[in-house]
Amino acid sequence: MKSYDFLFWGYLVVWAGLAVYFVALMRRVANVTRRLDTLEARAKAKTSPGTT
Amino acid sequence: MRRHYDLFISILFAVTVVAMSIALYLIFLNAPEEKVMGAVQKIFYFHVPIAAVTFLSVFFLLAGAMGYLWTRRAGWDYLSIASAEVGLLFCTLVLITGPIWAKPAWGVWWTWEAKLTTTLILWLLLAGILLSRAYASSPEQGARVASVLGVVAALDVPIVYKAVDWWRGQHPIVFGAGKTNPLAPGMLSALLTSMLVFALLYALLVAVRMRLAAAEDRLGALEDAAWRSQ
Repeated sequence: MKSYDFLFWGYLVVWAGLAVYFVALMRRVANVTRRLDTLEARAKAKTSPGTT
Repeated sequence: MRRHYDLFISILFAVTVVAMSIALYLIFLNAPEEKVMGAVQKIFYFHVPIAAVTFLSVFFLLAGAMGYLWTRRAGWDYLSIASAEVGLLFCTLVLITGPIWAKPAWGVWWTWEAKLTTTLILWLLLAGILLSRAYASSPEQGARVASVLGVVAALDVPIVYKAVDWWRGQHPIVFGAGKTNPLAPGMLSALLTSMLVFALLYALLVAVRMRLAAAEDRLGALEDAAWRSQ
């Protein structure tokens, strides 16, 4: 058990796994929020056609 | 409301990063090296808290599933969705970090002993929950099937926890009656801090995932309304 390379990979897997999931999650949130804001703005514009 | 929730997520993220830095210091610079296994034992500061958080996520999955089956309120389902997904991530990490320790300690990456096998069953159940949602004919049916599977997954947790006591095996016992070697103070503080960090990380990921589930629900409803009005 002289080499500890596997430990490095072990730690890397933990942090990389968590980081990839977190980044993917934030991108999905940003994407859905953007689409939601667009739809809500459109719906608002439809309900108040007099305002410019 | 959304801004308050985003602020809460930002604060939780900052607290998690600070706590994580403290945990890494305690694990790598403060905790003494174990005499027999040496540096290999340090994986235990990740593996044990991740396993504990997997159990925690199944507990919240059960709460969400029961809440949804009882009330049919979307909020409970968001908790169930988030806990299943984050729980699957943590269970995957348990199944990766375990063999990384097992290979130098036992000489094999995997053995079909009770603790490992029941953990694999838990992983399959969590994956099944996500698949049942993805391939259900309607979101409501998916939520119902996922809730029932969530209850089954929760039944597996005590079996995983007690597997070594019930069927014996090579897996070490960190907590509980079968534990023989008490941890050194430096090791215990590192382990407890790491537990806190992974619990915070779990709370952060679940909070973000619940926010996503709520936003996706609202988006679906708005898209439906827009399609009907055309």
